[in-house]
Amino acid sequence: MSGQGQVSFRNIVKMHGEFAALKGVNFDIKPGEFFALLGPSGSGKSTTLRILAGLDAPTAGRVLIDDKDVTSTDARDRDIAMVFQSYALYPHMTVAENIAFPLEMAKLPKAEIAPAVRDAARKVKIDHLLDRKPGQLSGGQQQRCALARAIVRKARLFLLDEPLSNLDAKLRLETRAELKKLQRSLGVTAVYVTHDQEEAMTLADRMAVFMSGEIQQVGTPAEVFARPNSIDIAGFIGNPPMNLIPARYVDGDVIVAGHRLKTTSTAAGERDVVVGLRPGALRMTEGGLGARVDLIEDLGDTAVFDLDCAGTMIRMRVSDGNIPGEGDTISISARPQDIHLFDPATRMRL
Amino acid sequence: MTAKRLRVFALLAISMVFLLAWAFPIIWSVLNSLKTDSDVLAYPPKLVFAPTLDAYRDVLFGSGSILPNLLSSAIISVGTTIVTMLMAVPAAYALARLRFRGKKFAGFYVLATQMLPPVGIIIPYFLVLRNIGWIDTYQGIILIYLSFSLPFAIWLLVSYFEDIPFEMEEAAYLDGASRLKTLWRIIIPQVRGGIAVTVVFVFLNAWNEFLFAVVLSGNTVRPVTVAMFNFVSVEQTLWAKLAAVSVLAMLPVVVLGVVAQKHIVKGLTVGAVKGGGRR
Repeated sequence: MSGQGQVSFRNIVKMHGEFAALKGVNFDIKPGEFFALLGPSGSGKSTTLRILAGLDAPTAGRVLIDDKDVTSTDARDRDIAMVFQSYALYPHMTVAENIAFPLEMAKLPKAEIAPAVRDAARKVKIDHLLDRKPGQLSGGQQQRCALARAIVRKARLFLLDEPLSNLDAKLRLETRAELKKLQRSLGVTAVYVTHDQEEAMTLADRMAVFMSGEIQQVGTPAEVFARPNSIDIAGFIGNPPMNLIPARYVDGDVIVAGHRLKTTSTAAGERDVVVGLRPGALRMTEGGLGARVDLIEDLGDTAVFDLDCAGTMIRMRVSDGNIPGEGDTISISARPQDIHLFDPATRMRL
Repeated sequence: MTAKRLRVFALLAISMVFLLAWAFPIIWSVLNSLKTDSDVLAYPPKLVFAPTLDAYRDVLFGSGSILPNLLSSAIISVGTTIVTMLMAVPAAYALARLRFRGKKFAGFYVLATQMLPPVGIIIPYFLVLRNIGWIDTYQGIILIYLSFSLPFAIWLLVSYFEDIPFEMEEAAYLDGASRLKTLWRIIIPQVRGGIAVTVVFVFLNAWNEFLFAVVLSGNTVRPVTVAMFNFVSVEQTLWAKLAAVSVLAMLPVVVLGVVAQKHIVKGLTVGAVKGGGRR
């Protein structure tokens, strides 16, 4: 029953009354891919996942799984497994019964269910907890139980709705790595919803970035980080986020806080732009942009400075241990290829 | 220390007063059911007397035995409870979960039927039952009992269903369960407590009902609450027997109450916290 797990969204629109939750969403997920739906809350990423799962129906558009139109197929007939943010474990059943439930519904013979349950539990390291009820498990164990219930059926698609958001920070990092390994070893297509750009960056093979009901960019994490499509994505991806400074473009240069910086653009003319500068791409150099150090956040291996450049706030990150004192004046600049230009009117990349 | 002790003592005294007010009729019934008829009428009332089970023997196995009436009560109560639950569970689930036209109105209607004074509807009920020939029949009485047990049961159950997160059901659908299977395997096991509480309340309401029973029953179907009045007549009241029947009629109530106590207390708090909010 396990298929390929190829997904296509074609012009999916979802209206909640007058409000458009999704304004025509298109994307394709390749078989075996770890695909993240990333965006701030209310951007439509969870709605997209629910439409893919069959829990909500789109107002318009088509959903294809393995080239078959499933837009009006019931959730239970889509061969999709899902891990919910709240885990949604069945509290009256033991861990073993929870994991066995999808197999029972698939009418698998009892003799096959027990080994499959043990196998799935072993993969997420909860095979010693099979007789417990969900209420007797810790948050991390509950999360694993939900994972086991999802992987036991070997569905063609594996959906995860912010599965790590209820775990504490340390556990979240551990589980994140295990999740990636698990997905690789199963070779299953995974669709992962998160608002945490770091999770998407580390887990995803490719990701779709949602902004107010639309996908603004689809690409590998490296691509999206290196060439954000819009001001909104630039400000969303990366920690600390990209500095976005209104500036003037003049014949291939931009003027930031009175200082000229070279860009890779060669277009002649003059216009208003928004300049994007990654905090980590800024360098301390002689004869650059003068800046007063307002605040230093020393994180040990890296340090983040809040700089005041003639009234413009710029954040900079250094990891070479070269830390000035607070109140000092330094001189910074950036290489032309590290300077991103956006149109302030359309908010898109130039 | 002494002030604290005084407060505890005062609290205890006040509780005792309330407890006594509640327990007095029960104590009175139990005591009188064990007396002879002459002891019952003695003045001042005898607290020390030779207890006898004569009254019980008479009401159970004498000429006016109330055993058939206890059976009537049992059939009516069990019947009402079963039919009520069979209809109330799906109805409450629908009200809690589904979106359908007229849902708000349906929710209000369920409550509104509870606001009618029973005396006001007893005559129409009587006329309807007489016209279809269902006076003094089990089906007639159970049908009428449904008219108030069903709204009550639905109203009580809805809050339990609303407590179960939507995601639980959605998870079951994705696991391949149908809506009915989800209701049966996932939802109902989680509202077991609520169902137990509702069963107890519906059963007790039917068992204790008097007003409708006295009008709509007859000689064939005569629940114990009505039959008790066999012992009250113009000439005399057979207090000892009346008390014995009361104690017998109370027994299932007390037993059920003790058995289901934990569930009932929990059930009442759930209702209290959740309120009657309909989604």
